[in-house]
Amino acid sequence: MSNSKTPAYPPLYKRLYSVWFRHMRVYTRHLLSNGFPPFLEPLIFLAGIGLGLGTYIDKMDGVPYIEYLGAGLLVTAAMWTAAFECSYGTFIRLEFEKVYDGMLAAPLTAENLIVGEIIWAGTKGLFFSFAVLCILTVFNIVQLPNSLIAPLVGFFTGVMFAALSLLVTSFVKTINHFNFYMTGLISPMFFFSGVVFPTSKLPPFARPIAEALPLTHSVRLVRAVCNSNYHAGLLLDMLYIAVFILVVGCFAVKRLKKRLIY
Amino acid sequence: MANTVINVKNISKSFGPVKAVANLSFHVEEGTCFGLLGPNGAGKTTMMKMVYARSPRDADCGGVMDIFGCDPRTQELEIKYLAGVVPQENCLDEELNVIQNLMIYARFYDIVSVDAARRIAELLDFLELSEKKNSKIRELSGGMKRRLVIARALLNNPKLLILDEPTTGLDPQVRHLIWDKLRNLQRQGTTILITTHYMEEAFQICDRIIIMDKGAEIMQGNPAQLLRENIEEFVLELDRTESVEEVVDQSMIGKVRIDSSHETTRLFARDIEDLKAIADSLQAGQYLLRQANLEDVFLKTTGRSLNVEQ
Repeated sequence: MSNSKTPAYPPLYKRLYSVWFRHMRVYTRHLLSNGFPPFLEPLIFLAGIGLGLGTYIDKMDGVPYIEYLGAGLLVTAAMWTAAFECSYGTFIRLEFEKVYDGMLAAPLTAENLIVGEIIWAGTKGLFFSFAVLCILTVFNIVQLPNSLIAPLVGFFTGVMFAALSLLVTSFVKTINHFNFYMTGLISPMFFFSGVVFPTSKLPPFARPIAEALPLTHSVRLVRAVCNSNYHAGLLLDMLYIAVFILVVGCFAVKRLKKRLIY
Repeated sequence: MANTVINVKNISKSFGPVKAVANLSFHVEEGTCFGLLGPNGAGKTTMMKMVYARSPRDADCGGVMDIFGCDPRTQELEIKYLAGVVPQENCLDEELNVIQNLMIYARFYDIVSVDAARRIAELLDFLELSEKKNSKIRELSGGMKRRLVIARALLNNPKLLILDEPTTGLDPQVRHLIWDKLRNLQRQGTTILITTHYMEEAFQICDRIIIMDKGAEIMQGNPAQLLRENIEEFVLELDRTESVEEVVDQSMIGKVRIDSSHETTRLFARDIEDLKAIADSLQAGQYLLRQANLEDVFLKTTGRSLNVEQ
């Protein structure tokens, strides 16, 4: 009765790709409503800063403020989209739409599903970062071709925040709990990770906290990319990002799996 | 000699202190339809999910699970690749239309686009959904959605089709259509594992059933045989309890079994004539004379109705 030949289920990379493809396909279904705002948002920001705030602030850390903030937006856009995708988005798929019930009936493991989700959120980070880059380039705030690496930083930022958000999601019982995550963790990162002002201007006790935040390291990398100012210190930021993705990602997979397979 | 597709031996599953499945054993032969029958909360879905590795069995239950020679604990992907699953909830992508839903799902099996398109056309035709191929999901009726999920489960030509309450909440017409399709698949050699709380469904399509209650087996076997062996052939249902003593006289004792533990009183007998004699003394509309069914068997053994929420 045993079946000697192993069924040829798809290899790992194809399984991950199929999960990624599913999300991509659903996302691009509403290309206009999903694809347009990423370009609009940095425009609004730059208009607000350039026409308003920027006229009061001469320079920040030696660069025009619009340039300073613009570089930060390259990664905050990735942070926001990945954080939303893997908190509210994942929770809705998990609890309301029951999308995963359907997917887990196909030859996919829970791990495949979660990792595919993280890669997809990274892709969204890349895209959102790219959208900001387009706007910054049009207004001559950053220079091509050096800045073309920025969306790659956006990708890894997206992956970091996907892992973090999935870990949070694994604890969440009702969708309203995400309010704490967004207001309590993501929003503060926007302000205290060196996006709107340098972390060196933080009071001394707060600086180590800023260093512990994932966005701080993305910001440092993306600034180096925009200014083409690479130095050895960046290796530490890369190391932080790599370790963060691995550690938080593993916990997220482990915990979220229990929500899927029980 | 047919192969055994599913072999489940002494399997248990607990959720904290609750034993959802208690020491269940059964096996399913290739090309047959096996039904898990029981009220809501009996553990049918949990048992089914353990078969396709959606739910792990208790680590310490010491039982054996063998599906196509694979253990769901370690060979999840092998089993999922060979099986098609219709979950209890439809879980379709509302943003996508009928074809797109199926195309995305085909990718999970790594079916190349050309083959997928051909297979999808076949399946939509088989499940009589071809006209709806470009419809949005929300435009489909409940029965159409259900058929679409069945089509989705059939994409990879599964050797084993697993259906969790495929016809719950559907109208009789769709139900019969789905039963026809399942019989058709079975004739083509597909093995079917189905959960249901409709005894008629079990009777119509299952070769063997296991009747479950509170996670444990009540009885197991061929539906018709279970009926023959466990209950009198005919039932007379009376709608008023107080009339029992009036209608059943002493001469009937021994021929008629009275069950008045529920709102309706039921009189069971092997000989329909005995019940007819009683019915003759009643006014039309006060009684229902019918054949006994699996629901009666369930009621007799557990004292509870099948369609009751636990």
